Amino acid sequence: MDKTTINVSRLSKSFNGQNVVRDISFDIKKGEVFGLIGPNGAGKTTIIRMLLDIMRPDSGEIRIQNDKLCDEIKNRIGYLPEERGLYKKLTVFETLLYLGALNERDSKERAGMLLEKMGMFAHKDKKISELSKGMQQKIQIIASIIHDPEFIILDEPFSGLDPVNMRLVKDLIIELGKAGKTILISTHMMEQVEQMCSRIFMINKGEGVLYGSIDEIKTRYGKNTVLLEFEGDLKNIPGVKKMNNSGHYAELILESGTDTQAILKNLAEMVRVNKFEISTPSLNEIFIRVVEGT
Amino acid sequence: MKKWRIIAKHEYITNIKRKEFLFVTFGLPLFFLAIMGISFFFMGIGGHNEENKMGYIDRTGLFDSSNLTKYTDEELARKDLLDNKITNYFVIPENYTATGKIIIYSSRKNFADNMKIKEQINNFLLDNLLKNEPPDIIQRVKKPIDSEYFTLNENGVKSEDSGFSIVILPLLFSMLFTLSIFASSGFLLQSVIEEKENKIMEIILSSVSHEDLLKGKIVGLGALGLTQVLIYLVLAAVMILINPAALFFIISQIHISIPLLAAGIIYFLMGYLVFASIMAGVGAVATTSREGQQIATIFSLAGAFPMMFSEFIISSPNEGLAIALSMFPLTSPIAMVMRLSVTDVPLYELLISILVLAVSAYLIQEISARIFRASLLMYGKKPTLKELIKYVRQN
Repeated sequence: MDKTTINVSRLSKSFNGQNVVRDISFDIKKGEVFGLIGPNGAGKTTIIRMLLDIMRPDSGEIRIQNDKLCDEIKNRIGYLPEERGLYKKLTVFETLLYLGALNERDSKERAGMLLEKMGMFAHKDKKISELSKGMQQKIQIIASIIHDPEFIILDEPFSGLDPVNMRLVKDLIIELGKAGKTILISTHMMEQVEQMCSRIFMINKGEGVLYGSIDEIKTRYGKNTVLLEFEGDLKNIPGVKKMNNSGHYAELILESGTDTQAILKNLAEMVRVNKFEISTPSLNEIFIRVVEGT
Repeated sequence: MKKWRIIAKHEYITNIKRKEFLFVTFGLPLFFLAIMGISFFFMGIGGHNEENKMGYIDRTGLFDSSNLTKYTDEELARKDLLDNKITNYFVIPENYTATGKIIIYSSRKNFADNMKIKEQINNFLLDNLLKNEPPDIIQRVKKPIDSEYFTLNENGVKSEDSGFSIVILPLLFSMLFTLSIFASSGFLLQSVIEEKENKIMEIILSSVSHEDLLKGKIVGLGALGLTQVLIYLVLAAVMILINPAALFFIISQIHISIPLLAAGIIYFLMGYLVFASIMAGVGAVATTSREGQQIATIFSLAGAFPMMFSEFIISSPNEGLAIALSMFPLTSPIAMVMRLSVTDVPLYELLISILVLAVSAYLIQEISARIFRASLLMYGKKPTLKELIKYVRQN
């Protein structure tokens, strides 16, 4: 059975003669958490805006459940834009009801339930302008799922969040994923995606560079990475192609055919090894390799 | 429910609570009424209430009066004036019949009073100068003409009003009319820019199409404008009920006909559509509300052009400038309503004007919708004219 629910094919968009998105194709399967990743300015937000029909592509096609985007499907999409904002003069409750109504849902009960869950129920009759920034972000996240959408698109959901709210949002995403929602997370924070997404599409300068399941991509790049925790002064070791050294922690990318035992022996003579793990490269590292073409 | 209706309802409810709306709707008419009321008071009703106690000094020996106090000694008159026994006195010099010169002294300075005083003195002088004439002649000299105008053309004879109402009432009417159009399209500008500045625009567009958003805003705020006009009419009705004297005055002076009302509504709706569409486009292009207001002012000035030339339009409603202004789509709603309220506009002119306005309303709305779609989310970047033309061309 084909579980594809969002299908993007050969999408291109340019502004003022500059290609922002070039010939992008990917599928999102029903019920998966999909990562759209890439550095800032890669074209992620433009792709999302085209997905939502906020912008029209120059060429290419987007189909959701084998259909073009219409009001009925828009009602089943929840969206948290990167540029956050709400009506300043409306109260929390008024805002949520209006945004729910725009998706043709009476969201009175659900608004109460979600506010309760996010610890915001006491503030429901306050004006948005009276809330702190963190509270406003929580309201925005609630607003994006107020109509119990099937598809949830989150653009940089972690930007500007403190650790407590970051945890809250992560838990919420995991919960929504378990509930069978199809979720698209767009972010430049690749570590976050590694923990939550099953499949990714990686974009750089408007072009797709990697696409597939995270496990599959990582194996493709080989188990040739050593994750190291150490004390001491780490210098170049023969057999290591590249070293990302952050003082007490390092990622060593090995030349093909290098014996990891020999590396460990070399390391032990040089520094005090606290942890030595043979692993697949991180998404960050894969991304850098892809971009640098090595 | 169609989504544009949800938006229309939301816009209507949030904007009707705006301070600006309440001010334009209730504050301004009350202000106008207050000004009108004051002038009514001095011109009519007030005039009979309180007679001035007047004295005079006659150096010609020709004048006599039962109403006014005659003084022979000017010192005494001055003293009585300062003691408030009289409010004014005047001196008729010896050479009055040759020069017509009268010197008036008054304890207060008041323009409306001065008019009354002059009228009283005028009557006093005429009564004396013409004391040998029969009373009806005296009356005719005091008010020699009571005019009634007719215009004569191929279609027959038509009576026309003259005087006060012909200038003030159409002017007031078109002022409130203009105000409603500008106020509601101004709210539209504000609401678009606010949603852009709040950054909530993108969330809304993820649920609603650009077309529905634009339609909802235009309908919701248009309904607000109609509400405003309705409130103006109710206020006018209340004023008339409270003050029957004003009722008679207005009924006798104004001729609001059914065709005028019908044309008024048509011009209101289409004029609003034109300005609202322009404001939506301006709001989509502008990056800040200040910039938006600045661009909008250019269009508002063009729209208010007939107000600046209202004197000309009202005094010669069937001449070149008035006709031109009542054809050009930005100015025609106001100019034509002004013309209609003072004269008979030939039917073909009315039809051409409505047709031009309807076609432009449609075109402007189409162009605005495209600009709206293309530039709504270009935060912090104002498109160039070239880009705007490109947006309009592509679809």
